This record gives sequence, C-alpha cells and structure tokens, in this order.
Amino acid sequence: MKWFGALLIIITSTWAGFNLSKRYRERTIQLRQLKVALQALEAEIVYGFTPLSEACKKISCMISYPLSEFFKRFSEKLSNGNRSVSEAWNESLQETVPHLCLNGNDVEILTQFGATLGMHDREHQQKQIRIALHHLEREETDAKDAQIRYEKMMRNLGLLGGLLIVILLF
Amino acid sequence: MPKDINIIFQIAGIGIVVAMLHTVLKQMGKEEYAHWVTLIGFIIVLFIVITILDDLFHKIKGVFLFQS
Repeated sequence: MKWFGALLIIITSTWAGFNLSKRYRERTIQLRQLKVALQALEAEIVYGFTPLSEACKKISCMISYPLSEFFKRFSEKLSNGNRSVSEAWNESLQETVPHLCLNGNDVEILTQFGATLGMHDREHQQKQIRIALHHLEREETDAKDAQIRYEKMMRNLGLLGGLLIVILLF
Repeated sequence: MPKDINIIFQIAGIGIVVAMLHTVLKQMGKEEYAHWVTLIGFIIVLFIVITILDDLFHKIKGVFLFQS
C-alpha cells in the first residue's frame, strides 16, 4: 500500500512537470502557426481581395486546433453580428486565450493588431500585418529560447520533486 | 534498529535528490532557486537529525538521572 501511494505521488508530479514543459513547447508552435496565419491573411487581403470573414474561415481550415478555433469564431462573429472588426477580434481573442499557451506579450501584440484591422486601405493593412509579423518573430525567438532552457528543467523538476516528497513521507 | 537504518537511507535519499535538483536548476541558470532548494533540504535534514538527537539525550538523561 505504501509503495502504491509512493508510485502515485511520483506519477502525478512527473505528469505535472510534463504538462508545464508542454506549455513552453506549445507556445513556440502556436506562435509559428500564428505567423503562418497572418502571412496567409496578408496574401488573402493584398492579392486575393477576399473579404475578411471568408479569409479567416479559410485560415481556420489551414491551421490546427486551438488557433483555428480563434479564427473560426472571429469569422463567425464578423459574418453574423453587428460588431466592429476590432470588437469581434477582441471578443474572440478573450474567448480563446484560456485554451492557448500564449503569454501577456503575445496577446498584447494580437490585440494591437486587431485594433488596426479593417481601419485602413490595403497597403496600410499590409504594413500593419508586417509589423505584427515582425513582433511575433521576436516573440518566437524568445519562446524558442525559453523552450530550450526550461522545457527539460520542468520535466526533471517534476520527477525530482515527486521523489523528494516520497522520501520525506516514507 | 531497522528504523535507524531507514532514517539513514532517508537522509541519503534527500541528499541525492536535493543535489540533483541543485544541478538541474543551476544548469538552467536559476542559481537563486538552486540555493534556496539546497538550504531548505539542509533544514529538513537538520530537523530530522535534531529529533533523533533529542531522543538520544532523553535516553541518556533517563539512564543517568533515573528519570524517564
């Protein structure tokens, strides 16, 4: 029985460590996907002349789960609501942020980008997308750095912390 | 007697785990946390040792002063 409890504690803490390290990995992946999405949006706006809601629907088909949900909600809000673009953007951002692994900076960049969306003509919009892409690029480098440093540490920390608790209680 | 052996192993285990935690944290550049972890591990071990020593003193007292 004692061994069973010890095993349970170690498994739980290891799992917690893996979960924490997963957040770092997910953040890099999601930032990369966000960049891809914004580049696609730029292409749709500048070369494809697609309306924003359709463009976002297309983008939501291109990328994978947590982020695709964001673009899907955004396009839905645009097509069947009477909100402004930035309101719809902010609302869908608020709704999906809990499912994403982004931190405050990333969300701030997205919010600022959303405020410029649909306010200008095509060329200005392209410039705004470029700026957002540039910011996201920097965040991605940051996230990669953090991933290299902390991903392994969190995993080790989980296992070792569990081991310490078990030894203390034994 | 088997309880005492267990305590020795327990302290050794704490030492090993804390040393590994220290190395991991130091490698990742979190030296201040590493020092705190080492300090807390040391305090815990000290606590265990002091409890046992207290037991020993009480026994000595009981033997020489005929108290219990």
